[in-house]
Amino acid sequence: MSSHYADHKKRDIVLFSLPYLAIYVAFLVFPVIYGVYLSFFDWNILSSKVFIGFKNYVEAFRDPEFLSSFSHTLQFVCISTPLIIIVGFVMALITIQPTRTGRVAETVFFLPYMLSTSVVGTLWAWIFQKNYGLANQVLKLLNLKPLGWLTDPSIAMTSIIIATLWWTAGFNMILFSAGMKQIPDEIYDAAKIDGAGSFTTLTKITLPLLKDTSLLVLILQVIASFKVFGQVYVMTGGGPYGTTRVLVQYVYKTGFNYFRLGYASAMSVILFLVILLISSLQFLRKPDQAQ
Amino acid sequence: MRKLLNILVKVLILCLIIIWLIPVVWLLVTSLKSENTVMTDKLSLIFTPTLENYKKAFSSTLLGRWLVNSLIVSVITTILTLLIDSTMAYVLARIQFRGRNVLFIFILAGMMIPFEVLIIQLYLELTKMGLANTLIAVMLPRLAMPIGVFILTQFFKSIPIVLEEAAFIDGASRFTVFRTIIMPLSKSALFAVAIISFINAWNDFLWPLVAISSSEKYTITVGIANFQGTHGTEYSLIMAGAVLASIPQIIMYILFKKNIVKSIAMTGIKE
Repeated sequence: MSSHYADHKKRDIVLFSLPYLAIYVAFLVFPVIYGVYLSFFDWNILSSKVFIGFKNYVEAFRDPEFLSSFSHTLQFVCISTPLIIIVGFVMALITIQPTRTGRVAETVFFLPYMLSTSVVGTLWAWIFQKNYGLANQVLKLLNLKPLGWLTDPSIAMTSIIIATLWWTAGFNMILFSAGMKQIPDEIYDAAKIDGAGSFTTLTKITLPLLKDTSLLVLILQVIASFKVFGQVYVMTGGGPYGTTRVLVQYVYKTGFNYFRLGYASAMSVILFLVILLISSLQFLRKPDQAQ
Repeated sequence: MRKLLNILVKVLILCLIIIWLIPVVWLLVTSLKSENTVMTDKLSLIFTPTLENYKKAFSSTLLGRWLVNSLIVSVITTILTLLIDSTMAYVLARIQFRGRNVLFIFILAGMMIPFEVLIIQLYLELTKMGLANTLIAVMLPRLAMPIGVFILTQFFKSIPIVLEEAAFIDGASRFTVFRTIIMPLSKSALFAVAIISFINAWNDFLWPLVAISSSEKYTITVGIANFQGTHGTEYSLIMAGAVLASIPQIIMYILFKKNIVKSIAMTGIKE
């Protein structure tokens, strides 16, 4: 190595990493710290900041709107997660086949994931539209009573989950099929020679060997579901009567409609902690692999 | 019996494919119907298609402006992301120094930060910087992409170091080596990062919704979401807008399906 190369090492490190680090710190790391700081203040943008310790956090757990938003989010997470994962897995089983049907299926199943939240939201708002929407037209055709898909408090969340399932199942399909492709063909060949049927192969080979992938898919899916916002905002706006209002939306509303920035920050911190806790479950994988 | 089961499975698969296609078909069909046809109480699949809604979307709404805004945001975001992520990755992959591993972990930790919990603080920060309601505000927080640094670092490490050493002995600077050796060899990884960055930027919704307040500066996602407020029942117009808003992704999907799927598999696994 020339000395020229060593001479400029420090300068090069700074020049090469400064642009990234400056933006990373300014717009990702700093906001996290600033958010925690703000969460300890009562601040209404017009008034001056008043330090109130943990009062925002105490208030959150007494605020019926926060609690209901939290429970709607949990409801969304608990129902959508298993559904989306199972459908994604079935799709992967279909698309892993090296046939034309398999390839067509992959293209079709993944297509919705390419669309943006607001396109998916407006499309499904139209499908679920009360008078002329596709869903109710099909029900009428079958001589069934039309439903208030987005206006009936008891089914609005289900409608949002259906739209989300259609939108994101393809993502999990990709992760599952990537995992399946890593399973060596020899194992399947050996099973075939031993006379194992496709069901036995699935339960005794594919599923156990996909344990790591499944855990990853589960964690990613739970995190994504906790952050749900766009499709709800577009499809129901949190209604009817706040029955589909989710956490991110309540943070948004508290911050930008009520201008209670300290309180909104405290709720963001709570959501962050929940997500961090779930993300950290990934590290459970490591000791498992060592065995 | 076995044959019957096979046929049954095939039929079920076909049904699933059709069910997954119906919403997209419905989207296209609605966008090609006249407003009056949409409002009849029938599943009218037979109709005279019209491009009226598409014309109207451009002439009587700001959709054209929003598409341009989104294109500006996505293209610039992608280019800058590639630039800053790749130089950062080069440092992490190739230069030996104390604290490198700590720095690597510090950057990877960024993958654990959900963007959704930062909106209040980012809004305040960018307002203070005088950038509220600008497209720059939409782009800035999206440039540093930890997953991109991770993908590129791993890739750079896989490039044989011999090539660079030869260049260094010839007196080339690190920048020259980076530009003439590393970048050309990393096209596939750069492409993967570009795809992720572009799609993220184009589909971003919550942040532009917060950052932009005037309708002529909306990105297409925010504009489409607001259509319902302003064009409440003009469903065929709204669907035409939704189709137009999806054109870049559809083109990318047709051209680069394999790469997109690979990038998604990669981010999923690494995230």
